[in-house]
Amino acid sequence: MKCWEIFRFELTYQLRRPWPWLFLVVMVVFAFFSTRIAILPVTLPQDFILNSPFIITSVTVFSCQIWLLLAPAVAGEAAARDRQTRMHPLLFTSPVRKAEYLGGRFGAAFALQALILLGVQVGSLLAVYGPGANPELTGPFRPEAYLAAYGFLALTNALVATSFQFAFAMLTGRPMASYLGSLVLFFLSYPVTLTLYGSRLHHRALLADPIGILAIMNEMMSNWTIVEKNVRSFTLEGPMLWNRLLWVGIALGMLAILYRRVRLVHPVPTDWWSQFTPRFTTKVKSPAPTGFTRLSRSIPPARQSFGFRTNLGQTLAVARRSFQGIAMSPGGLFLLLIFPMLVTFTVLVKMQHWGVPLLPRTAYLLTRHLTGVLTSPTNYWVMVPLFTIYYAGELVWRERDAGLSESVDATPVPEWVLFLGKLLGLGLILATLMGIMIVVGLTVQVIRGYYPFEIMRYVQVLLGLKLVDYLLFATLAMTVQAVVNQKYLGQLFTLIAYLVMVFSSFLGIEHPLLVYASGPEWYFTDMRGVESSLGPWLWFRLYWAAWAVLLAVIARLLWVRGKEQGLASRLKIVRLRYTRATAGFALLAVGLLLSLGGFIFYNTNVRHAYVTDDEQVQRRADYERHYGKYEGIAQPTRVATHLHIEIYPDRREATIRGSYRLVNRTRGPITSVHLEPAFYVKTRMRFDRPARAVVADEKLGHFIYALGQPLQPGDSLTLRFEVTFEARGFDPRGLGSTGAGQAILENGTYFTGDALPIIGYQSQRELWGADDRRKHGLPRQVTLPDPGDIDPRVAADAPAIFEAIIGTSADQVAVAPGELRRTWHQGERRYFQYGTDVPIIGRYVFFSANYKVHRERWKHVDLQVYVHPGHTEHLNRLLRSIRASLAYYSAQFGPYPHRFLQVIEQPGNFMGMGVDGSGVITGGEGFFQLDPKGAGFDALFEIMAHEMGHQWWGMQLQAAFAEGGGVISESLAWYSAMQLVKKVKGREALRQFMSIMRQPDPWPPMRTGLPLLRAMDPWANYRKGPYAMHALSEYVGEARVNRALRRLIEKKVSSLATTIDLYRELQAVTPDSLKPLLHDLFEVNAIWTFNTRQATAKQTAAGHWQVTFEVEAQKVVADSAGVETKVPVNGWVEIGVFARAQPGQKLGKPLYLRKHFIHSGKQTIIIMVPQKPARGGIDPYSLLDWEEGDNIEEIQ
Amino acid sequence: MSLTITNISKTYSNGRTSTVQALKNVSLTISNGLFGLLGPNGAGKSTLMRILATLQEPDAGSIHLGDIDVVNQPNRVRQTLGYLPQEFGVYPKVNAESLLDYFAVLKGFSNRQSRRQVVEALLRKTNLWEVRKQKLGGYSGGMRQRFGVAVALLGNPKLLIVDEPTAGLDPAERVRFLNLLSELGENSVVILSTHIVEDVSELCTRMAIINQGEILHEAEPLKAMEALKGRIWRKIIPKNELIHLEREHKIISTKLLSGRTLVHIYSQESPGDFEPVQPDLEDVYFAVMAGYVGNRKSAAA
Repeated sequence: MKCWEIFRFELTYQLRRPWPWLFLVVMVVFAFFSTRIAILPVTLPQDFILNSPFIITSVTVFSCQIWLLLAPAVAGEAAARDRQTRMHPLLFTSPVRKAEYLGGRFGAAFALQALILLGVQVGSLLAVYGPGANPELTGPFRPEAYLAAYGFLALTNALVATSFQFAFAMLTGRPMASYLGSLVLFFLSYPVTLTLYGSRLHHRALLADPIGILAIMNEMMSNWTIVEKNVRSFTLEGPMLWNRLLWVGIALGMLAILYRRVRLVHPVPTDWWSQFTPRFTTKVKSPAPTGFTRLSRSIPPARQSFGFRTNLGQTLAVARRSFQGIAMSPGGLFLLLIFPMLVTFTVLVKMQHWGVPLLPRTAYLLTRHLTGVLTSPTNYWVMVPLFTIYYAGELVWRERDAGLSESVDATPVPEWVLFLGKLLGLGLILATLMGIMIVVGLTVQVIRGYYPFEIMRYVQVLLGLKLVDYLLFATLAMTVQAVVNQKYLGQLFTLIAYLVMVFSSFLGIEHPLLVYASGPEWYFTDMRGVESSLGPWLWFRLYWAAWAVLLAVIARLLWVRGKEQGLASRLKIVRLRYTRATAGFALLAVGLLLSLGGFIFYNTNVRHAYVTDDEQVQRRADYERHYGKYEGIAQPTRVATHLHIEIYPDRREATIRGSYRLVNRTRGPITSVHLEPAFYVKTRMRFDRPARAVVADEKLGHFIYALGQPLQPGDSLTLRFEVTFEARGFDPRGLGSTGAGQAILENGTYFTGDALPIIGYQSQRELWGADDRRKHGLPRQVTLPDPGDIDPRVAADAPAIFEAIIGTSADQVAVAPGELRRTWHQGERRYFQYGTDVPIIGRYVFFSANYKVHRERWKHVDLQVYVHPGHTEHLNRLLRSIRASLAYYSAQFGPYPHRFLQVIEQPGNFMGMGVDGSGVITGGEGFFQLDPKGAGFDALFEIMAHEMGHQWWGMQLQAAFAEGGGVISESLAWYSAMQLVKKVKGREALRQFMSIMRQPDPWPPMRTGLPLLRAMDPWANYRKGPYAMHALSEYVGEARVNRALRRLIEKKVSSLATTIDLYRELQAVTPDSLKPLLHDLFEVNAIWTFNTRQATAKQTAAGHWQVTFEVEAQKVVADSAGVETKVPVNGWVEIGVFARAQPGQKLGKPLYLRKHFIHSGKQTIIIMVPQKPARGGIDPYSLLDWEEGDNIEEIQ
Repeated sequence: MSLTITNISKTYSNGRTSTVQALKNVSLTISNGLFGLLGPNGAGKSTLMRILATLQEPDAGSIHLGDIDVVNQPNRVRQTLGYLPQEFGVYPKVNAESLLDYFAVLKGFSNRQSRRQVVEALLRKTNLWEVRKQKLGGYSGGMRQRFGVAVALLGNPKLLIVDEPTAGLDPAERVRFLNLLSELGENSVVILSTHIVEDVSELCTRMAIINQGEILHEAEPLKAMEALKGRIWRKIIPKNELIHLEREHKIISTKLLSGRTLVHIYSQESPGDFEPVQPDLEDVYFAVMAGYVGNRKSAAA
């Protein structure tokens, strides 16, 4: 009864406050926008139904995470308002039992939070059924989807979060401490879970997430097909069920602990850590003498001064006290002690890729782990702005919370001293954190035995670049708190400001001049350094610093002092505070931000062509509308490219003079040529014969030249062009924090042949997003055609002869595709001549940098490797893989057609390696981060073997743009790499390789995808495809399978291949007995599950060993809606028995390995082996059952 | 140095409809010495005190301390202001010495050496020196009050404002504290607001009685008592006779005394069977509050 009264009173009390309603409104708006704009990463161009269970669930869980940061005050108020307002003596002395009090208050907090979260479903519904909704994106109304999302996710989250927020506030007696409770949960649900997930601890990650965002995203995002996402209801099952049970349990445990700990008595002031050491409380030890002494003991005369110098000293004193206040609080200790320790641990765990340790180079540590971009929080660094928001509020309210404000406000300090001092104190905390991060970086390097310390780089990046952004944000947070003057609302507004900064692009705010503290990011790579990114960075930060000064002026003018707290009365006081100095600062700030803003705008929008995303989309739509009619018209074919390239790294400029030889390979005369120069360069084009430009559309980038004389079939003409790269202004997006991308820089120049004019209409420039196309009234596109719909005669990209002379400064090496024919010096410059005899395809790439060059000859091939001078340790492993690949693939799939092979390190901190064109393989600087010394998994070899495989699969055999295209290139390239590993390093190494491939990161297995023939998802392309090919090679025979592949290349030398072509060749080499297996692997989505239940052995009289296996087999066929149908296994499956493993081996020597006919269900298999067996089981090499686990058992 | 308050008014808007006029045309002139501001709870004392302490702005009127315009030059006032708020808290986890040092910095003691001396002297004066290293969170109410006094005394303020300071003090401490204040009053304007008549009667050279935002009476306590001489009469009566008495006499106060009621009445002439009383300040206070003396005299009489 009393409990109910307490509940009712609290509920109505808070419902009469503004904040619960504001929180509710924010949730409605947030859910509305995230549903409408589909803020969730939509990876495929398919339509999403806005009210599909998937969207409803995702929006709910995503909003829950935002709500976590938004609304802790509701629970904090309910828990600690009595103590904050010092009303507790009245309440605690009334005959209310603890259970009633806590129950009523917690119940009210929970009810309020549940109400606020209801806003998510309201917003979600409004987005679908409200005004402006697109009926095409609306599916049937499924109330159960909303109920499930609200019941299973929102309500459980409300319980979990409220219990944490409530407990934190209750135990500290401060409502705002609830925010710290939220931060703990947020920290677990985002950075920690993500780290665990990225560290291959999936199940832990799914459990560790108190909000369930990762579990949802993991389960639904990557494991559900499009069909499932649109129709399947979300229910609690699997990891999500365990997650909810665990966290509801933790929440209840938290409440139980709270109930035990809380005493409804006067709180004795203790240090917070005395919670842990209850025996050593710090009470006043000696009774103090009372009273005042006589004045005769007079106060010594001391001079007071009130000048600027004194003010500075006062600022420092305020700063010091603010710093101490934060540093000594639990949150501060977390930030400065526990957080760095967690970062250290995380870095050490995450510093690996595919099980291979990464070298702890300073550039890598600084960009990947020790910093985070303020406005795109993708790692644990999101905690810093969140802490800043919290502590800005705490600092602004510090005196008032302590009841000291009247004393402080009556002292002769100007307002700016108080504001600046507090800001400085917060800044000192952030600077300390950055300093600690230097120690973290060095510690990691020492632990990993890496000693070339670059301490100045750490200082420059952390205390220079990073700190600036954090200080800018701290100024904003403090100003908002000072102006809003209601703690919860201040916090709310700061958080909204931060969300707007983060999601600005979704709101259509793109230009970095409009998003506080944003601008082109700095980058730091070994090749490109830091300095080349600092120019624009600095201009933007100066501009924002001017804004920050203006904010500070506003904060100073509206700073709350004394009892005049209303905005109106504060505005009245402004007249007193608007002194000449303040006016000067304001004027200076406005002047600076106008002139800096103007300068930046000139650089980003006038000197640099600035195109908004919307405009870009509009242009692509216009392009298709205007020129789409020219798709597929007869155009001459490029057969030879000649280039003369001059790169001037110091000036950041380059020019390309070149020519194309164009031949009419069609059957009729060609009257006009369509040319498309690149947007980011200046291009001049000229034909070697009279031609008239009839269309010169610079905006959409399409030019049509009418030839004076039609080009007759078989005839050719020459197009000459001159392309100029100029350093023009700032790119507002910059190269991003990875420093990867095309740029001409002092070191690490990289650009591609996209800068050259292209012949004909380019359909890949069309809009492909279904939503964009609809908005612009373009007809729907088929995303990927069925391979059966592809005309088998579609011509492949025409290969062309390539030749280039490329010059750069004398101390650099310039690279272009081809055999290096000669190199020479001319004046201050160095020239290289590259060329090909055999026509090549693909994208041309050009580099200039201080490269370390390795050249050798493999038979007819000029093998060139270009790496950064500090990255040469990798050469041996790479070359070993290249040579082995060339030898094996040439023998199996046909000769390597080119006379050159280049491996080039591409500037930029990214891991990937890829094939750019015939004979050209590039890898990011991140790839050279893989520790080449490790004895474990040889990733360098395997990845290189895969890329070498692409020289056959992708370069020689080109996949048609259709479903299953990834199988042609990626699956076959991985299959080749697997075969190479088996051949060169043995079955054991292949087993290890496959166990690495089985890691669910980055592609968790998908049971419900399309069959391989129509595969689209990455798991099928990169994992299932190779497994299926591998199984086939083991069943049908490697030689036969490879022969089929070789024949495929020969047949499709000049046309595009589909999975149907591949399947036809494979069928041709597969004996009839194995055709059902081939069918299961390619035509349907069959999933085998084998389990060795029992394995026993006994020695026979003859000394042999008789091994008995109890095995179980199952096969299902899954469709893309997730429906699984059981089918009989009835097929041949390997049974293996192995001797004891030698050190370093995973499996011992095989004693027995033969295929047995296996049917569905349980069965017994008996085998005789000559030696004592150690382990054995069914499908020991995971040919068919791709989930590792229970195939092999110890033999008893 | 003297403090001149001229026609100060202040209105609080209380919600959307109701307004409360906390001060109405208050004018006072206060020179060096201890000035007592006496009034019941809610009379507007704290509002006036906070306006003097630059923590609030009056809606109208002006205040001058010497040549300083208090309303428009708050920072100049603060340079010579000591303020002890009616209610204040402390940082519980900080010790007295360091927090007082902090306040000393804020008050402009920029020299570290001399600041330390000032802090030490004040801590000794307020008898907190022995416990200076202890966290303020563990202080008793009286200790905390003395700490507040130490803060207020920093920098020998010319204007010292103490808002109901004796509430948390035990009788002995209270006496010593008031003595301290009167010593300070030798060189500064000290304004003491209180609702305890003894505080004023014992020490203040001048006083004002305030109620409902208005100054009802401004006087020197001794003279005020003198002026009432022969006008206050007392009688001890049984409780039930009070109603009759009220009809016939101007009762200013009643008090229970051993089960019977002691009544003080105001009367210019002898009212018969009453005995004369040597008026004390409490009689002055009640007479003013009842409207027989002071500015509102005519209104109530």
